Amino acid sequence: MKYKDYYAILGLQRGASDEEVKKAYRRLARKYHPDVSKESGAEEKFKEVAEAYQTLKDADKRAAYDQLGAHQAGQEFQPPPDWQQHWQPSGDDSFSTEGLDLSELFERMRAGRGRGGVRMSMPGQDYEIAVPITIADAYQGTEIDLDLNMPEYDAQGQLHRVPHAFKARIPKGASDGQRLRVPGKGGKGFNGGRSGDLYLNISLRPHPLYRASGHDLYLDLPLVPWEAVLGTSVEVPTPGGPVRLTVPRNTQAGRHLRLPRRGLPTPKGGQGDLYAVVLIVVPSVVGEKEAALYRQLADVSAFDPRAHFSEEGSYAS
Amino acid sequence: MRVELTEMLWFEEHAVSLSELAELTGLSPATLEELVSSGAIEPIDASSPEPRFGAAALGAARHARRLREDFDLDTQALPLVLGLFERIDGLERQLQALRARLPGRIR
Repeated sequence: MKYKDYYAILGLQRGASDEEVKKAYRRLARKYHPDVSKESGAEEKFKEVAEAYQTLKDADKRAAYDQLGAHQAGQEFQPPPDWQQHWQPSGDDSFSTEGLDLSELFERMRAGRGRGGVRMSMPGQDYEIAVPITIADAYQGTEIDLDLNMPEYDAQGQLHRVPHAFKARIPKGASDGQRLRVPGKGGKGFNGGRSGDLYLNISLRPHPLYRASGHDLYLDLPLVPWEAVLGTSVEVPTPGGPVRLTVPRNTQAGRHLRLPRRGLPTPKGGQGDLYAVVLIVVPSVVGEKEAALYRQLADVSAFDPRAHFSEEGSYAS
Repeated sequence: MRVELTEMLWFEEHAVSLSELAELTGLSPATLEELVSSGAIEPIDASSPEPRFGAAALGAARHARRLREDFDLDTQALPLVLGLFERIDGLERQLQALRARLPGRIR
């Protein structure tokens, strides 16, 4: 198996006191716990830290770990010959270090000691994964392939990481932050314990056109000034296909034009709305003739968009 | 071998009893009762003699279990931390809703 340097992971010397182990764990948990850290890779880092702490905080496990000797992190090694006899769970002759990684080895020490010969039932492990999907997936539902390595009890009550590959159907109606529970699809329970559950946390990937808020979608609708003034009818994309939208006369920038039931479907058969957010845009270059027409418009129009600037209270004195 | 999953439950569709909630989260009924009485976990129908718990409660209870294990939090600190997380979630949702409403492409 590959050696992991639990002390180095926690930033400690081998002789660190229990108090130092706890302090180092708390500091790193505060930094890398997925609930409090937004750093990329934080979750992986936290798993390493938690694994190191699980072993080093327990006097027996720490002693057992220390007797494995110090190796380079990542180096292949075997526990010394007398190690297994000394540390194997009592009454468990089937205990073998073969094919285990270091974390499984120490998980088993705990399982073996806790049982003390009595075969207690244990519930299976829950498993939680993030599932990013696209707006199109949320609109029509999708199937995803999951390849999971779940900790699971075998017939002897020992934990193994078991690969599980299956397809999961995400029904339409998913939205950002929604969660799905798949009952009984986590790790198997031991000796009559119930199976764990699989939890899927749905997130929506960013889309170049649509921005989601719950089941509502927002889309920028750029208009040229005369369209906004005179009103028009434009074709706008929606996830279900293009739709004609009537832009009323004198539509102001920033206004939300609502297309009812053109957003994302909800799990219960409803549907969110799609809002077209009006932007008034001008060409970056205009020809001489166009510029002349604008000048003519400027002469004719009495509209003052900044009339409120001259109201009382704009200036301190 | 690939197995087709058919039974998927939206969190929203959940309604479980306190003992089922305990089984689903691994928290003891006593701890859950404390979280309920402090308001950190709310049943769907608080006046019922047999309260049922929905999606928000399941999410919060699972979160409580994880926080308690990973940070060694005691039962007094848990409701406080859960309350702060709930506020952060609410603020993040509001922020996302506001961002969606803002034009993204001002040229």
